Amino acid sequence: MSLKNFLILGILSLALSLGYSQDHHDQETHQNDDKHKVEETQDGGHEEAKKDESKDSDEHEGSHEGDALEHGHKEDPSEVIIHHILDNHNWHITDLPGGQSIGIEFPWMVYTSKTGFVYASDSEELIEKGIIPVHEKPYVLKEGVEKHFHVNHHGMVHLEEGEMEKYIDEEAFVIDFSITKTVSQMILVGLILLLVMISVANAYKKREGQAPKGLQSFIEPVVIFVRDEVAKPYLGENTSKFLPYLLTLFFFIWFANLFGLMPFNSNIAGNISFTAALAILTFIITQVNASKDHWVHVFNTPGVPWWLKFGIPLMPLVEFIGLFTKPFALAVRLFANITAGHFMVLGLISLIFILGNGGESAGAAFGIAPLSFLFTVIIFMLEMIVAVIQPFIFTLLTAVFVGMAMESHDDHH
Amino acid sequence: MFLLESVVQTGIGVLGAGIGAGLAAIGAGMGIGRLAASSVESIARQPEASGDIRGAMILTAAFIEGVALFGEVICLLAVLTK
Repeated sequence: MSLKNFLILGILSLALSLGYSQDHHDQETHQNDDKHKVEETQDGGHEEAKKDESKDSDEHEGSHEGDALEHGHKEDPSEVIIHHILDNHNWHITDLPGGQSIGIEFPWMVYTSKTGFVYASDSEELIEKGIIPVHEKPYVLKEGVEKHFHVNHHGMVHLEEGEMEKYIDEEAFVIDFSITKTVSQMILVGLILLLVMISVANAYKKREGQAPKGLQSFIEPVVIFVRDEVAKPYLGENTSKFLPYLLTLFFFIWFANLFGLMPFNSNIAGNISFTAALAILTFIITQVNASKDHWVHVFNTPGVPWWLKFGIPLMPLVEFIGLFTKPFALAVRLFANITAGHFMVLGLISLIFILGNGGESAGAAFGIAPLSFLFTVIIFMLEMIVAVIQPFIFTLLTAVFVGMAMESHDDHH
Repeated sequence: MFLLESVVQTGIGVLGAGIGAGLAAIGAGMGIGRLAASSVESIARQPEASGDIRGAMILTAAFIEGVALFGEVICLLAVLTK
């Protein structure tokens, strides 16, 4: 089974490089043909109208080619990678050879201090309502500016650096509430998680006292692992109070990571907002459940000379900052791991196109394709492991922080 | 401010990011190497505890990797924010 997948991936990567070089060759030969035609008509002399026509079509094709370049981002691999990593306002699946793109464009829901809540079904409508989307972010347009902008296939307007100040009202305060690619993916993962977990829970009700069956036998060991290895050693008798949160964290991050590794899906945990939200939840749960001794430890650390606490309040400061660095490190760790994995996979795939040099050295592309594919598969397998280790670490550290904060002074010393 | 501008203009920032990524990789490599060496040693001494040791090893390796990736993300920012 794994060998079969391996082969399919290899064929895909080869086909990708082949299709790429083929495409470029087609364009080149086409251009040559056109040149030929122009020369012929020049010889003809009296066929000036025809010449103009061919010139026209040439220009037309030129602009199409420009579109195609913009569509495929063939020239700049780093742009492709960044585009894949970041959140988008459309779920772009693929481009057809004709230049059409398949995907879903999400509606806009933006709050600004100037216009209040604004809803728009697409970017053109949004611009009409006075908000301009530039590089995945909405901005308020200055009053009295003409609303004619070219919206690209990502639904975004491209502005040069100088132009930003010309069109954008920088005093306005903007929050983007739109359901983006990551958000919709997150909802999807949540629904699937609900489906799986409710069916497993029902199976326990129905088959009480019997051996687990089907999905049950997949979920049960994981739940028991989280309970016995992650929660119990740090939370002790409070385990059952925090186990639902820990299990939710573990399964949600795990499923999110696995979905992020699948084609056409968005990497949820590679978005700092997602990991930050989870870390903030952990922070709140830690501080709300903290014992009195936790605060004593922060502001009046035992075993520290008094002048470090009240003379120069260095220790309380360090301890206080430590409260925030813990969840911060939690968020950045998950984010960095998932993002770096996607970067590595995309970078290795891009290697084919970088060495192919826009189809000029197709041989190099062919040469690197098997190697790049092999490394991609290895990194992918590593990412499958990371996809389960990272939620484990997140859950474990949450349990450790909560356990540490709940600890009362007496059982520690 | 002038220094920052000149650094960006001459591309030293990109050079720094490359060197930084390399240093982060060296640090992580040394860390994971030491970790693996001592874990293998302890498994050889006490094969019956290999399960626990392996678990601790993977966990700690992920921590070390996490620190290295912090570095990588900062290097990435240095390259991408022009």
